[in-house]
Amino acid sequence: MKNIEIKTTQQRTNPLANVFDRFMQFCQSRSLFMLHYCTGCGAIELPPAMTSRFDMERLGIQPMVTPRQADILLITGYVSVKTLKRVILTYEQMQSPKYVIGICSCTVNGGMYWQSYATAKKLNDYLPVDLYIAGCMPRPEAVIEGLQLLQNKIANNDGHSWKDYFQNYDYYLGNQQHLFGEDWQTPTDIITEAKHYGLEAEGTYGKHTELLAKHQHPLQPLPLKTNN
Amino acid sequence: MSWSELLAELFFMPAIAFVVGLFMVLMMRKIAAKIQRRVGPPFFQPLYDIVKLYQKDTQVSHGLWHDIGIVMAVGGYIGAEILLPVPGFDGIADKGGIITLSYFLMIPSLGMALGVGQCANPNGSIGISRALTAMLAYDIPFIIVVFGVAWHFQSTSLVEMVEYQQVHQWGIFEMPLLAFAGLFALQGMMGKHPFEIYVAPAEIATGPMVEMSGKYMGGLFVMQSFQFYTAGVLYTSLFLGGGENWITFLIKCFAVIAIPISIAYVFPRFRTEDVVRLLWKWPVMMGLIGLAFVM
Ligand code: SF4
Repeated sequence: MKNIEIKTTQQRTNPLANVFDRFMQFCQSRSLFMLHYCTGCGAIELPPAMTSRFDMERLGIQPMVTPRQADILLITGYVSVKTLKRVILTYEQMQSPKYVIGICSCTVNGGMYWQSYATAKKLNDYLPVDLYIAGCMPRPEAVIEGLQLLQNKIANNDGHSWKDYFQNYDYYLGNQQHLFGEDWQTPTDIITEAKHYGLEAEGTYGKHTELLAKHQHPLQPLPLKTNN
Repeated sequence: MSWSELLAELFFMPAIAFVVGLFMVLMMRKIAAKIQRRVGPPFFQPLYDIVKLYQKDTQVSHGLWHDIGIVMAVGGYIGAEILLPVPGFDGIADKGGIITLSYFLMIPSLGMALGVGQCANPNGSIGISRALTAMLAYDIPFIIVVFGVAWHFQSTSLVEMVEYQQVHQWGIFEMPLLAFAGLFALQGMMGKHPFEIYVAPAEIATGPMVEMSGKYMGGLFVMQSFQFYTAGVLYTSLFLGGGENWITFLIKCFAVIAIPISIAYVFPRFRTEDVVRLLWKWPVMMGLIGLAFVM
């Protein structure tokens, strides 16, 4: 088990810049687009949370359908090994700042699928999870309370665990390779992105990224051809 | 008009349009919420969304045309705003007229097509091909309406049309059939249900918007507020006598926008071919009959 150490960004010295930052964080916390990856049974509690009974939109949270537009990746239930690959691809395509929420006990520790050979047990081994909402399955009230917790975190300049994926990429990649095999590669080049945005740290590189570099083949554009 | 006045108008007209457009977006979301028996978003939600989107730390650009496409999408509407006369500001409306405006209204869709094309996402390509088909569908009745109105007022200048209506009576009483056909075209133009198959979130993942992230999506949100404002003001100028003052003008604009939105959220959507069939049949028919009456 690894302890996530999140380095919060420094407060700026200029008071006006501070006010500006606070405003930006407030806007970020009050507008969250949610991509709900309905992996398991917990997904069934989301429709009531979104529709007229509990209405998430009054908190500024609304569903979005593509990873590019979304801020929150909501994993609702057990993650099988096959699904986890898709979850990781989805997560890597999202634009930072991005947040991961694990709903259901199954994402926390495997839940009732603990003995299954086909499910990933702990989500935070593979992705930096901001928040878990435990329960089998959690009620919409619990989901909404969890989302409010996340909003408070963001508004208090505390929602930076997405940086951990860049700064400790080697750790996450190691766990992914352990599960998917050594030649595991995603279309998004996390190391180049980390370099580009200045998010590298010691943990970005390691023996797992070396292994990745050995197997990595550059992405080719798809061939242009019709189906005949 | 002096240069400084003109520059001030060129700045203030899009700025006002943006703010009013944000309120229109808020109204849309509130109406949707009320129809679905929800509370709906807080007052500043459209603003939060746009600020949040422009705040994203990482951005994905798929190339130069992707960037230019968004600029065209927003720029087309900004260009349209200064051609729309509002109380107190005429901008360059007397120079442009409604024909120039019709061209400007096509630029955003074409810009989107360029930008989305470079994203190389199949969902986006499907979406934009549907969007352009829908544009073809609603532009035919729209052009018939524009032609009929211009013929009736014997002018292509929006300023003159508004002046005529304020002296005589509103266009909607003189050309009710054209006004109704115009309302149909408006529904298509705003891309709302039942004509929003090209967005179709559950099937093609918001179509043209599928690869838009961060500031690109922010650009599209800005575009949406301009789009609502443009649609409202254009219809008000053609049929509801434009604006005598800001209060009645804004009431009219908001009322116009509220109609398609209220219709939108109680309908599912038509398929693309049905959109074309429907829009080329009923509004075109009504428009042509209305045209015969004004000729
Ligand atoms: S915690 Fe319970 S409800 Fe949630 S995915 Fe696991 S078994 Fe299903």
